[in-house]
Amino acid sequence: MSQRKLLQKIGLYAVLTVGVIISLFPFYWAMIGATNESGKMFSSTPTLVPGTKLIENITNLNESIGIGRVMFNSLFVAGTYTVLSLIICTMAAYAFAKFHFKGRNVIFTIFLLSMMIPYHATVIPLFKMMAAFGWLNTYKALILPNLAYPFAIFLMRQNMLAFPDALIEAARIDGAGEWRIFFRIVLPSMKPALAATAIFLFMYQWNSFLWPLIAVSSEEMYTFPVALSSLFGLSRIDYGQVMAGVTLATVPIIVFFLALQRHFISGMLGSAVK
Amino acid sequence: MRRYWNFLLLLVASMVLLAACSKNDSASSDKGEKVTLTAWAWNVNVGALKEAAKEFQQENPNIELKVEDIGRLDVYDKLSTGLAAGGTGLPDIVLVEDDRIHGYVEAFPKGFLNLSEKGFDKHADHFPQFKKDLTMVDGKFYAMPFDAGPTGMFYRKDLFEKAGVKAEEIETWDDFLEAGKKIKKATGAYAMPLDKFKDDPIFRMMLNQLGVYYFDKDGKIDLTNPKAVQAMEMLKKFDDAKLIKDVDGWNGVVSATVDGSVATIPFGAWYYGTIIDQAKDTKGKWGVFLLPAFEKGGNRAANLGGSSWMIPASTKHPEEAYKFLEFFSTTKEIQLMAMEKYGLFPSLSTAYDSELFTSGVEFFSGEKIWQLFANEMKDIPTAYYTNDYSIALDESIKAQADVFNGKDVKKALKEAAERIKARTKREINRY
Repeated sequence: MSQRKLLQKIGLYAVLTVGVIISLFPFYWAMIGATNESGKMFSSTPTLVPGTKLIENITNLNESIGIGRVMFNSLFVAGTYTVLSLIICTMAAYAFAKFHFKGRNVIFTIFLLSMMIPYHATVIPLFKMMAAFGWLNTYKALILPNLAYPFAIFLMRQNMLAFPDALIEAARIDGAGEWRIFFRIVLPSMKPALAATAIFLFMYQWNSFLWPLIAVSSEEMYTFPVALSSLFGLSRIDYGQVMAGVTLATVPIIVFFLALQRHFISGMLGSAVK
Repeated sequence: MRRYWNFLLLLVASMVLLAACSKNDSASSDKGEKVTLTAWAWNVNVGALKEAAKEFQQENPNIELKVEDIGRLDVYDKLSTGLAAGGTGLPDIVLVEDDRIHGYVEAFPKGFLNLSEKGFDKHADHFPQFKKDLTMVDGKFYAMPFDAGPTGMFYRKDLFEKAGVKAEEIETWDDFLEAGKKIKKATGAYAMPLDKFKDDPIFRMMLNQLGVYYFDKDGKIDLTNPKAVQAMEMLKKFDDAKLIKDVDGWNGVVSATVDGSVATIPFGAWYYGTIIDQAKDTKGKWGVFLLPAFEKGGNRAANLGGSSWMIPASTKHPEEAYKFLEFFSTTKEIQLMAMEKYGLFPSLSTAYDSELFTSGVEFFSGEKIWQLFANEMKDIPTAYYTNDYSIALDESIKAQADVFNGKDVKKALKEAAERIKARTKREINRY
């Protein structure tokens, strides 16, 4: 019996190890590319060990796109967006989950349906709107348009549905105001969901490409993905720079994820137990 | 309660930060007479533009140029959005590839300045005919010709030598087919790389060489042309002889170039830049010859790629933008600088008699490859792209895939023509 279990475990770990290697290899490959000269990764015997050109590649990349500036832009935009959007989406989700008002379900359905509109179809109207406000080429145009994000509202609402109404009623009877109930009673128990939504929003904004590309037009306002894309010309691509850029661009997401990971995972387990 | 206040504080603080950071940089910093032009371009073109602007400023200290470096394909997303929004947020100068110029002018007839009206016609004689056809719509210039991509076969001399093949003896595609077989046998290297099911550059070069294209002069679908059939059949012969290396996209071509698994790469002159950037270790092993002809003595000139400058009609400084571009496009020294430093092959013919073009290229073991390309320019037939080019390209690639999968060439091209007709409502030429 225990031997069978052991075998099972070995088999499981073997499968998992393969999975880990498969999912980690692209990162490793990017890092190898970042430390080698452009073109090395194409040679008939690709190197799998780090090279010595990391500093050179990063210096060149910095010359091409100005790493500090675009990193700041991306961090600032994604960070501010995550905070603002989290507040707005959580409040909206709370209203949809716990308040009873006329047309609630209709409004919520319309919200969900808006997720079905292809993003590309909204670009030109949005662009015109931003131009009319005089917001083109500003942080406002990058951060504000997608603050109320339907999927985030949906995610939070589903989590809040499980929150017992009895607690809210008890708080009301005890004389707590609606704000107080929201911030002191409901939110504290939503930490895992908040963490998951925050990671989601941060990644969404960090990876966002088309809208930042359209909305800003001066290099000082570029976000990281837009700046990376400018490395691609017709025939001359410095793959060392590209790979160094790609590697750098993944760092903030990993850090952000690790920082919130504890809450995130306990959130998933929490809902599993229920 | 404290937590609630913390939240509100955070909200307010980030709002304030947001407002403080979004600076008001409207373009109206017209102190005195100073004009700042903005330009959109990609990659090496940015460097060339910036350097030209420095030269230009010596005579025109009041005109400044701000160049935004944008990815090649990203430029079109931004340009199309801006044009669709009625010219909002567009620059004064934008670089556009030649295969898109007609499409843009047809889709947005009032979107760009008519440069003939500004007097560009007087420079027309300095550019080859095919480039003029690409930059003119209805006989008027809408773009200023810049770089071009005269095609050639970039080949590995060491592999050719090993197989006992002489490049100068290859005159026709059939010669090249035989040579390819020999080389494969002796060295194991394929004749050419191609992303067989996703791109068709070799087919396009062959079409251009034969004086046909997806469309004819009148915009009719021309894939049923016997010459198009001839080109595709030739490609099929190479595939049947297992001489085409199926590669994955652009990176696959680069990879095949670096690892020596192909003996030749047919491409535009701009591929020189890729070779010297990525395959540094192969210095001295490369040579170039013209595309083989379809019959002895036939045309060996074709073009792939190239771009030109356009001025969006929404510009507030049309005179200054025109003046700068005229300087950029028609000044020999500027074009030579762009060529020497950035490998951008000029279409300005007055540049060709300079030393840069008549001397040998070190990386290509002293071969005079620029002279070869320059001499080719005048013989290049015009390719007709129209505003449905991307649809035709898409269907042509499908036709090529069908052929490689065993479909009859004539049938595959006819079906592709029908599909283009269905999608574009254009007529098909009957033969």
